[in-house]
Amino acid sequence: MQEHEQLSQKQINDDLLRDVLTVPKWWLPAVTVLGIIVITGLGSFSYMVYHGLGVTGLNRPVMWGFFIANFVFWIGISHAGIMISAILRLTQAEWRRPITRAAEVMTVFSLMAALHTPLIHVGRPWRVLYWIFPYDFDRGIWPNIRSPFVWDPAAVGTYLIASSLFVMVCLLPDIAILRDRSKNSLVKKIYAFMCLGFRGTPRQWKLQTVAGILLSALVLPVFVSVHSIVSWDFAVLIGVEGWHSTIFAPYFIIGAIHSGVSAVAMLMALAVWLYKLDKYIKPDHFDAIARLLIVVATTWFFFFFLEWVYALYTLEAPEIALRELQAFQQPYAPLFALFIVLSFLIPVPIWLFKRFRRSALVMFWTTVLVNIGMWLERFLIVIPGLIRRTHMTFDWGTYHPSIIEILIVVETFAFVALGMLIFAKVLPLIPLFDVKEGMVFRHVIKVGRKTIPASIREGLPHHYYEKNH
Amino acid sequence: MATDAAKAEQYEVVEQPYAETDNSVETRKAVSDKLLGIHNITSNRFWQFAVLTGIMFVFGIIGLAMRLNSGFDDKGAWGYYVAVFSFLMTTTAAAPMVAIAPRIANAHWRRPISRAAEIWTLAGCLNLILYIPLIWLLPSLENGRRSLWFFGQQESKGDFWTGFESVPAYSPHIWATLSIVALILLGLTLVWLSCLPDFAVLREQGEGWRKKWGKRLALGWVGSTAQWNWQHHRMGIVSALYFMMLVFSHFFISVEFLMVHVPGWIDSLYPITHAHNALQAGVATVMLTIFCLRQFGGFRDYIGLDQMWALGKLMLALSLLWVWFWFSSFNLYWYGKKPSEISVLELLIKGPYREIFIAEFLLVFIIPWFTMIWNPIRRSIWGPTLIAVSILCGTLLDRIRLYVGAWDVAGRDFASMYQMKLSEVPVKIPTPDVADIFLIVGFIGGSIFLFMMATRLLPAINVWEQKELLLYKAEIQYHRTKVTVLGKSR
Amino acid sequence: MAKRSVLGLYTEEDSAADALDNLREAGFEEGEYEILTGTPYPEGTFGEAEPQHHLFRWPLIGAACGFTGGLIITAGTQLAYPLITGGKPILSIPPMAIIMYEGTMLGAIIFTILGIIFESRLPRIFMGAYSEKITEGHIGVTVTTEEDRTGDAEDALKKAGAEDDIIRGWE
Repeated sequence: MQEHEQLSQKQINDDLLRDVLTVPKWWLPAVTVLGIIVITGLGSFSYMVYHGLGVTGLNRPVMWGFFIANFVFWIGISHAGIMISAILRLTQAEWRRPITRAAEVMTVFSLMAALHTPLIHVGRPWRVLYWIFPYDFDRGIWPNIRSPFVWDPAAVGTYLIASSLFVMVCLLPDIAILRDRSKNSLVKKIYAFMCLGFRGTPRQWKLQTVAGILLSALVLPVFVSVHSIVSWDFAVLIGVEGWHSTIFAPYFIIGAIHSGVSAVAMLMALAVWLYKLDKYIKPDHFDAIARLLIVVATTWFFFFFLEWVYALYTLEAPEIALRELQAFQQPYAPLFALFIVLSFLIPVPIWLFKRFRRSALVMFWTTVLVNIGMWLERFLIVIPGLIRRTHMTFDWGTYHPSIIEILIVVETFAFVALGMLIFAKVLPLIPLFDVKEGMVFRHVIKVGRKTIPASIREGLPHHYYEKNH
Repeated sequence: MATDAAKAEQYEVVEQPYAETDNSVETRKAVSDKLLGIHNITSNRFWQFAVLTGIMFVFGIIGLAMRLNSGFDDKGAWGYYVAVFSFLMTTTAAAPMVAIAPRIANAHWRRPISRAAEIWTLAGCLNLILYIPLIWLLPSLENGRRSLWFFGQQESKGDFWTGFESVPAYSPHIWATLSIVALILLGLTLVWLSCLPDFAVLREQGEGWRKKWGKRLALGWVGSTAQWNWQHHRMGIVSALYFMMLVFSHFFISVEFLMVHVPGWIDSLYPITHAHNALQAGVATVMLTIFCLRQFGGFRDYIGLDQMWALGKLMLALSLLWVWFWFSSFNLYWYGKKPSEISVLELLIKGPYREIFIAEFLLVFIIPWFTMIWNPIRRSIWGPTLIAVSILCGTLLDRIRLYVGAWDVAGRDFASMYQMKLSEVPVKIPTPDVADIFLIVGFIGGSIFLFMMATRLLPAINVWEQKELLLYKAEIQYHRTKVTVLGKSR
Repeated sequence: MAKRSVLGLYTEEDSAADALDNLREAGFEEGEYEILTGTPYPEGTFGEAEPQHHLFRWPLIGAACGFTGGLIITAGTQLAYPLITGGKPILSIPPMAIIMYEGTMLGAIIFTILGIIFESRLPRIFMGAYSEKITEGHIGVTVTTEEDRTGDAEDALKKAGAEDDIIRGWE
């Protein structure tokens, strides 16, 4: 990171807490608009509850449509938070500091959006409650643990709890700052309660560091397992063409990282523009995330290529027919072309140029394109396979999403945006202590006429080296 | 500008502290002298081990001759041969990734170990020798056998195939040869680029034959800014190409030399699994190598806990990824219950190779994972080394299980290439004969022999990278404690 | 006797380190004084002892609990009402492994969080001597001791250059 200003702790507090302790002008209108969209979505859901699932475009054999594609999409977005936070923490990448919390919070809200989508999709979600409480033992059966639909809540629930706890623990020092800065006594008391009395002793700071690393190491396997399990909702089935492919687990995960990291880049650009955080999120940060995206996008494309090659390698006519449907037949061919172009062919060549990588505007729009493309990818995985699910041609179907489905899907986007805005109003989206730590640890080394940015590296305690020499 | 100045005044900007590095001429010379001093010494123990591995290599050549003599008709007889080829591709060809990936990430811990990782590509030349007979063994596309090069698959008709009817029957052979040759050439280019500045050091400060060869290979290197920039950029490009070619080679080998021979084995994840196994084994290979360099090579002051710890963390992550890849394939086959897939599970996991699979599972996942999660083991010299041995043994068993199993069924009546399913699973594992044992022992020994001989000319620790570290590393007093400050090189 | 705490505020790291030296010379023990900072510093910056913790036990205990819970849920529920579904055995290892794995990780993570809170000596109901300036960049040195020794503590803090008002509090 060549561009850097060493700011004082007070300055950092002022900048990063400004929009928590006061209300920016644009905030209320934005929350109002998003709130209206969410309410419209919930209203559509109410309409669907009253009239039944028939108001959607779902019908035999396409029993999964927009809702499930959306579910997979949001699970995917949720992966970036932990990916950015955990992997960059473990590799001690300095550029992660301003973006980890926004990514983690996006994970939490994305997971909530992902979880409420299948609940809406089941049509009568309240049955979950009176089916569980009290449990009907007279049926003589417990939930079927052999079903991927039981693995799903186990995994997604674990991930949601883990991510939420991760965010909360890492928030403690920043809530302590809010406690100290708040003027309103009630607000002060609330923050004081939330931070559990954090004071900033060496023990507490050491545990924050250890916690960050340990929780990262624990959450990463969960992150890998969640989308694998979601992918197995499709992949374990042999009855639907295009689904029974062993590569689905890593393919979904790399796709999730691709869309999720793109979403983080979008958030970074929005943070710079809306919250005026250009002193903290620099072009260097956009450059770093863009380079990560190039690697991720290329890997994703390789996995996509493998998935297609193996589908054709099977020499099975139904499988090949599905691929023809996806790639060459209406109405999916234009969507397929659009997905490839938006997910890879436009963004990646743009990201190869440094001046575009360093531009918040270019990064914002290219990552928007990526996410549109990746939503289409999930759509193209779910629906075309179901259209020809059976081998009897008279059972082949079509799928046209209804306005109800579209409104509910849009509601999920508004829900996540609204959640993040409300969070940013109550708690800081950029981790203050992490940024301050970066300032404290930062040094410079002079090599001839050049100044090299450097950082203190805390390795193992000295006794390890003495014992193992 | 006035606005910027006004803005700057509003911000409480604090001065960044400077750290002084010890980058004097004397220090740099001391590093050179010390490393060259170690490089110039060849101990008796070194020669004893070289003779031993050389003898093993001779046995390997004898085994190769015996195997060639047995002819190409019985594919089952070549199972162990292909397993050895795959094992060497998995270990020696993937070892340079330990140099490539941390170099791209600018991780300073890689400096003492990157050269050792790169030198393993020289042992990759053995892969080429082993590959040549396989060209005759690989079936052509003439009879419509299943291949990645699906253009040649005449059986599946439809609009999609129009225009793809005439395809060279030997497409797989061409691509396989190109990929292996390209991988080796890229590896050799990488090691030469990395050694250029050190060849110049040998040219100036070496003695005897090392001085002569240093002069030939340094090609006029003088250390100008332009040359350093050129070297840095070329290494970046060659590294990226090497990685892509490595993945492609493993993609190719895992299909054309493995999956194709077992009807019904269609595993889209397997190329990635195969490449990942290679990364894991490559890291283990480098771990074992640097342990030997540290304990027996005199490099105790350079190869230490930081390197072992970093590689240990990598091995931990890669072991977990191993089980994830394996489970992803296994779960789908087990759950779907497609007869073709159940037969594959029967052949490779539940049937005659069950014990080998269990042993491999223990060696590659259970032991590494459940030991390396303990900090004291991961943060030690011996811990990661022993785990590396476990991983290498497990990988060898894995290759034997897969390739011997696949080539055993290849060419048998019940496993015709046109069938979609393996209708019968062999009950016994083919026993290795004398030629097979010679091949396994000989070519593993041969790779080690080549590595050892290469280190007589190529310094086993990268001298220029060690000197470069002096520019970016400072040990400073930070109030009441000593800390290390590390800069980013580019 | 009730314990009292006193807090001295410093703007320079070296002054805070000097304060710790003065406190040691005055006979205060390691557990009686603490540094308070608004940002993490490299370990040992102020000459303080390395904090010892046993955090790593918590995820192990949690993982064991989660694993056991997962095993009971999966094996127990299937054995309670054995019904073959999808042609798979009653005790199907791969699905059980998935749920047991998630249980293990959930247990490990929840216990890790509890461990972090516990090892950080939180929640802390009474803040004791504390200043809001700490989160603004000041460095605090707080001493918790018997009331009759607070004078010595204040002298040690002032000698190192603490800001004028020493803050006092109750524990």
